[in-house]
Amino acid sequence: MAEIVARGVRFHVQRLTPRHSPRHPEHPVVFIHGLGMDNLSSFYYTLANPVAHAGAEVILYDLRGHGLSERPPTGYQVQDSVADLTALLDALAIDGPVHIIGNSYGGIVALGFAVAHPHRVASMVLIEAHFSVAGWAEQITAEKSTIDTALAGNPLRGWLDQFGRKVTRLMDMADDLLNHTTFLADLKAVQPIPMSRLRTLTCPVRAIYGEHSDVVDYARELDEYLPHCVLTVLAGCGHSVLMDATPALREIVLDWFGTQLPSGVR
Amino acid sequence: MAVEQVLADVRAMLTEIIGAEYALSLDIGMDTSFDADLELESIEFVKLSTMLAERYGDRVNFVAFLATKELDEIIDMTVGEVVTYIATCSALAGAIDG
Repeated sequence: MAEIVARGVRFHVQRLTPRHSPRHPEHPVVFIHGLGMDNLSSFYYTLANPVAHAGAEVILYDLRGHGLSERPPTGYQVQDSVADLTALLDALAIDGPVHIIGNSYGGIVALGFAVAHPHRVASMVLIEAHFSVAGWAEQITAEKSTIDTALAGNPLRGWLDQFGRKVTRLMDMADDLLNHTTFLADLKAVQPIPMSRLRTLTCPVRAIYGEHSDVVDYARELDEYLPHCVLTVLAGCGHSVLMDATPALREIVLDWFGTQLPSGVR
Repeated sequence: MAVEQVLADVRAMLTEIIGAEYALSLDIGMDTSFDADLELESIEFVKLSTMLAERYGDRVNFVAFLATKELDEIIDMTVGEVVTYIATCSALAGAIDG
């Protein structure tokens, strides 16, 4: 397991490299996952391996507090996530442009990184991307109450007996992130990316939203503020586009990079 | 022979990942499911693939293996499917180093 220390935090990083060369696309493809229960495995299971197999150098990492990365007590604002990504790429000695694929919260990190470092972004694929996190903290606070109540009445050891190992570990992680870090407070303090700065982005942008998603309004805003953005709204999908429409997304992403899987794979 | 050796490797790795206490209560074999039986978290499966890559190196191409599978196929995988793939790759690439 690759571990990279950036900004004093130990990050879990996965690099997937194709067997053949030259690389295509030329620049590395960086995947950024969503918040909360998410981690790099959601991309690892869906898009990352096909994109690598088609010829790209792929980099995935767990955001701080998520997956197998360290869970420090502080540093959960979007600007921290952008600074983490910047420091990680520096640590990997990647100073040239990268393609970024962000899902949900990963989309706002991608946009924040592009606004801060436009020369370091070759293109972006935004899946169910947010521009702001307004309302998230309240939503997560409600979920936190449910978790706190459940844990108060039934300590984790009891959960293990009742629900098994996987649920218990997820609850343990959520409990730690929500009750022992500044995650929620930081989320409440997040400011949306100013639309005036979004308008300055010139890199190619591919955006995908689900028709029934609670954030599909962002698709219309994206269309307005980034007119060169290529937008697809997938019929019948909600926010979980990555999981619910993986084959369609895979086609869109491979097409975006002008690649395809080696013949015979699919 | 190769299959048994790979299975022993995978069993040892899984025991390290999920902990000996939990692993000892399970009989990890070819039919064991990562999800239903081991209750392996998806991020732990990523960890396993890293350990396998470190163990078998270039002889096994996990990127190609996983690129051919849909999400539900990965979730439903058994230990035997991974072991068989590794054994096949290893056989093609030559004898497994000790």
